[in-house]
Amino acid sequence: MLKLPRKIIINFVLVLSVLLLVSRSLSCFKNPAQKVFRPQLSFIAFVKHEFLGIIFYHRNMLQAGNLQKDIDLLRWRLFDLRELSQENIRLKDLLNFKQKSPLRLVAARVIGRTMDSWSSSVIIDKGKYHGIKSGMAVICPKGLVGSIVESTESTSKVLLINDPNQGVFSIVQRNRQEGLVNGTLGGNLIMRYLPEEAQIVIGDIIITSELSQVYPKGLLLGRVVSIGREFSGLNRYALVKPLVDLTSIEEVLVIIP
Amino acid sequence: MKNLFFLFTVLILATLELNWPIFLNFFYCKPDLLLVFMVVVVFCTDFKTALIFGILAGLVKDLFSPGVSAVNTIGFSVWSYAVYLFSRQISTDESYVRLAVVLAVGLLHNFIIGLQSIGAGNILSWGVFLRNLIIVSVYSMSLAPLIFKLTKRIAS
Repeated sequence: MLKLPRKIIINFVLVLSVLLLVSRSLSCFKNPAQKVFRPQLSFIAFVKHEFLGIIFYHRNMLQAGNLQKDIDLLRWRLFDLRELSQENIRLKDLLNFKQKSPLRLVAARVIGRTMDSWSSSVIIDKGKYHGIKSGMAVICPKGLVGSIVESTESTSKVLLINDPNQGVFSIVQRNRQEGLVNGTLGGNLIMRYLPEEAQIVIGDIIITSELSQVYPKGLLLGRVVSIGREFSGLNRYALVKPLVDLTSIEEVLVIIP
Repeated sequence: MKNLFFLFTVLILATLELNWPIFLNFFYCKPDLLLVFMVVVVFCTDFKTALIFGILAGLVKDLFSPGVSAVNTIGFSVWSYAVYLFSRQISTDESYVRLAVVLAVGLLHNFIIGLQSIGAGNILSWGVFLRNLIIVSVYSMSLAPLIFKLTKRIAS
């Protein structure tokens, strides 16, 4: 059996005790020591960082260039994804509306807009081949958009409701007062031929009338924003703000009767 | 070959006008690029070619308009002839003279279309009428130097 001298054991125990004591009270010295060394350490770290930066300048420059390319690519992807997400939401709305609606509908995408500023029309990517004919009503989930005026095999021209040539027989939803809604090329439509005693107020909802040969009854057109008296003094008119943003429509639904 | 390039230019300008980005609209107005081309082509080529491409530009514009009248075809041919006569009367070498001619033709053409629209019984407020008359013409004029450069390059 191994026999250790007593002196060695005592020394070992003593050193261990001192070490334990020091380690116990070490935390008291930590903060002051770190405070004293902090500026020097920071300075050395800074110098080292800059020095390495100079040494590896070329490598860092290439890395930065590559990372910038990655950032640009990811930014474009993000932009694409946002666009896809918005399109997805719009198409989901359209599909929901199409499924819930009792009407027979054909979905189409806007591929072109009117060339001049004196008319308001769009070209859609569906035509006679898809059963679309002249005179059919065009809507979107928010309300009425216009009507088909021309159709070829694969495209159709839609005259929007804010075109001055467009006229829609309409009624005030609240009191069934009839009038004719025309486009003005401006932001609002005009509802004409309202009698002097017509009970119409700002905020009234305007919908299509059953008198209309083109549009099914009850399609939302817009909301009354202003009421005035016609120049002749015989009738009143109302300015109607369309519920559909006609300047930015991208997908529409054509009603097949 | 030159005529083929002019034909391509008409098609490109028509496509650009049909798909003009909304964010480039100025007070809901877009420039009339085909009208500018029709005027510019008179300055760059002989009268016969200019007239043919003027009519073609008007025809393309009418084809994509919802109306049934050929007001652009007739208008563009008349303006081609008028600009040709005018360019024989005075020197149109200076670029500002050419811009002034584009502006004048734009104003007259839009004025006639506006009158035709009102004559057809459409309701147009003074604001909308003046907006379409002035802003479209000025906007078209502001883009004329670009189309002029393009047309001149093709013509040469």
